[in-house]
Amino acid sequence: MITLGHYLVLSVAIFTVGTIGFVVRRNLLVVLMSIELQLNAVNLALVAANRFHPASHAGQVTAFFIIAIAAAEAAVGLAIVVSFFRLRHTVRTDEADRMRH
Amino acid sequence: MSADELRAISPLIVLGAAALVALLGITIRRSHRFSALACVVGLALAMASLFLRGSAPPPGPLLVADDFAVVYTALVLTASFAVAVLASGYMARRQRPEELYVLLLVATLGAVVLVWSGHLVSLFLGLETLSVSLYSLIGYTRTGPRSVEASIKYLILAAASSAILLFGMALVYAELGTMVIIEMGPALAVASGRTLVVPGVALMVTGIGFKLALVPFHMWTPDVYEGAPAPVTALVATVSKGAVVALFVRLAWALGAAGQAALLVAFGIVAAASMLAGNLLALRQDNLKRLLAYSSIAHLGYVLTAILAGGPGAIEAVSIYVTAYFVTILAAFGVVTVLSGPDGDADRLEEYQGLVWRRPFVAMVLVLSLLSLAGIPLTAGFIAKFAVIFAGVRSGLWTLLAVLVISSAIGLYYYLRVVVVMFAAAPAASAVAPPVPQSSRVLLLCLALILVWLGVYPVPLQGIAWTAASSLARESPPVTTPLGPATARRP
Repeated sequence: MITLGHYLVLSVAIFTVGTIGFVVRRNLLVVLMSIELQLNAVNLALVAANRFHPASHAGQVTAFFIIAIAAAEAAVGLAIVVSFFRLRHTVRTDEADRMRH
Repeated sequence: MSADELRAISPLIVLGAAALVALLGITIRRSHRFSALACVVGLALAMASLFLRGSAPPPGPLLVADDFAVVYTALVLTASFAVAVLASGYMARRQRPEELYVLLLVATLGAVVLVWSGHLVSLFLGLETLSVSLYSLIGYTRTGPRSVEASIKYLILAAASSAILLFGMALVYAELGTMVIIEMGPALAVASGRTLVVPGVALMVTGIGFKLALVPFHMWTPDVYEGAPAPVTALVATVSKGAVVALFVRLAWALGAAGQAALLVAFGIVAAASMLAGNLLALRQDNLKRLLAYSSIAHLGYVLTAILAGGPGAIEAVSIYVTAYFVTILAAFGVVTVLSGPDGDADRLEEYQGLVWRRPFVAMVLVLSLLSLAGIPLTAGFIAKFAVIFAGVRSGLWTLLAVLVISSAIGLYYYLRVVVVMFAAAPAASAVAPPVPQSSRVLLLCLALILVWLGVYPVPLQGIAWTAASSLARESPPVTTPLGPATARRP
C-alpha cells in the first residue's frame, strides 16, 4: 500500500536534489534546470496530495498552473540568459559580479 | 459568470485590457506617447473601476475584494501610476521605451491579484505574474551590463524562492486538504497530525521573506536596486513589496501565526536582524540606490515588527506604514529618476553634492523624503513609525522596540549624511543634468505635499487603515489554535 508519505518522501528527495543543484552549480542553465526540478517535485506532491483530499481538485489544477508558469519563467529566463551571454560571453553565475563593492 | 460578478473583478479586467491595448499599439506603430498614455489611462480607469465595481463579491474562492484588499489595490495602482509618469520622462531619453508600459501594466495586474488572493492558487499566479514581468523590467536596458546582471540575480533568486514557497504550499495542502486561505485556520484547529504544517508554513515564510528581502534573504536587494532602471527600482520598492506585505498580513491573520511562541520568536529574530543589518550595512554606502536598498531592508523589519504585534491595531499600523513608505520612497526614486541622464542613473553620492544650490526644487523633495525615511516629525515617516511603536507598546514587544529605536538612530546618521552632502558647496565642474519633464515635476510636487500632509494631519489615513484592518478581522476572526505541537489544544 502506497501512502501519501511515500509520495512526499520522493517529492522531498527530488526537491532536495534541485536545491543542491541550485546551490552548487555555477552554470546559469543548470541553475534554471534545478529550479525546474524543484517545481516538478512540487507538482508531484500536489498531485499526490490531491488523491488523498479528493473533495476538490485544487492540487491537480495547481499542478497545471505550475507547469504553465514554469514554461513562461523558462522563456523569459532564457531570454535574459541570452542577453547576459551577449554582454559577457559567459553563462557562469560567479562572473555576474560587476556590482560587488 | 453574471454581469455583477464581472463588475466585481472589473479592475483586473481593465488592467489586462490596457496591457493588450498597449501591446497591440506597439504591433501597429511604435509610439512612446501612445504606450505611455495607454498605461496611464489604463491605471486611472482601473482605479475608477475599483470604486465602481458594486458590492457583489468576486466569483468563487479565488479572489477576495474586502476593504483591506481595496486599500492595498488603491495603493498599488497609485504607485504604478507614479512609476508610469516617472518612466515616461526617463524613457524619453532612451531607446525602445514602449514595451516597458506593457510590462508595467502586467506587473500591476499581478500585484493586484496578489492583494486580492483568497486562495493559494491565486496567490501563486499573482506572485508569478508580478515576478516574471519584473525580471524583464529589471533587465529592460539590456545594453547596460548592470541592468542585465541585476535581472539575472533577481531571476534566479525569485524563481528559487517561488519554488520554495510552492513546496511549502504543497505541504500545507497535503496536511490540511484545502487551499482556501480563510479555511486554513479552522482546518488547522481540527487537523489530527500537524507534522507537515510547521515545515510547510516555514517554507512559505521563507519564500515570502525572499520577496520582502528580510534578513537572511536580503542578498539580492542592493544589486537589483542598483542595476534596475530607476523607475523600475521604484516599482520593486513599492508595488512588489507592498503587495507581498498585504498577502503576508492576510496569511498571518488567517493562520493565526501571530500568536504562537516559537514562531513569534523566529519572526522576532528576523525582524530585529533586518532592522539592524539594513541600517548598519547602509552606513558604508556611497551609492544612493544601494543605500535605499539597505534602508528598505530595515523598513521591512519595522513592518514585520508591526505584524508581530498582532490584532487589528497592528494591521492598521502596517497599512499606515506601507502608505507612508510608498509616498516617501516614490519621492526618493522620483528624484533619482529625474536626475538620471541618458548614459546611466544618477546614483553615486558625489553627483548629489551641492544639489540644493543647483536644483533647489528637486533637492528639497529628496531632503523631505530622506527626513521621512529617518522618521523626523512633520513627515509621513514619523507618523508611520509612531504607529508601529504604538502597536508594539500595546503588545509589549519591548526587545523589538529597543532594537527599532536603536537602529532608527543609526539610520538617522546615513540619511542625514546624504542631506549634508546635498547642502555642501557645489563642485566647480558639475555635469549638466537633464531638464526635469513637466509631468515628473508635478508628480514630485504632489508626492512632497502628500508627504507633509500625512505627517501633519494623519487622521484620514488612520481612518482608512482602520477600515481595512477591521474588514480583515470581520471575515476571519482570529484563530486561537495557532500552529504548534499536536498536543497544544484541540476543540
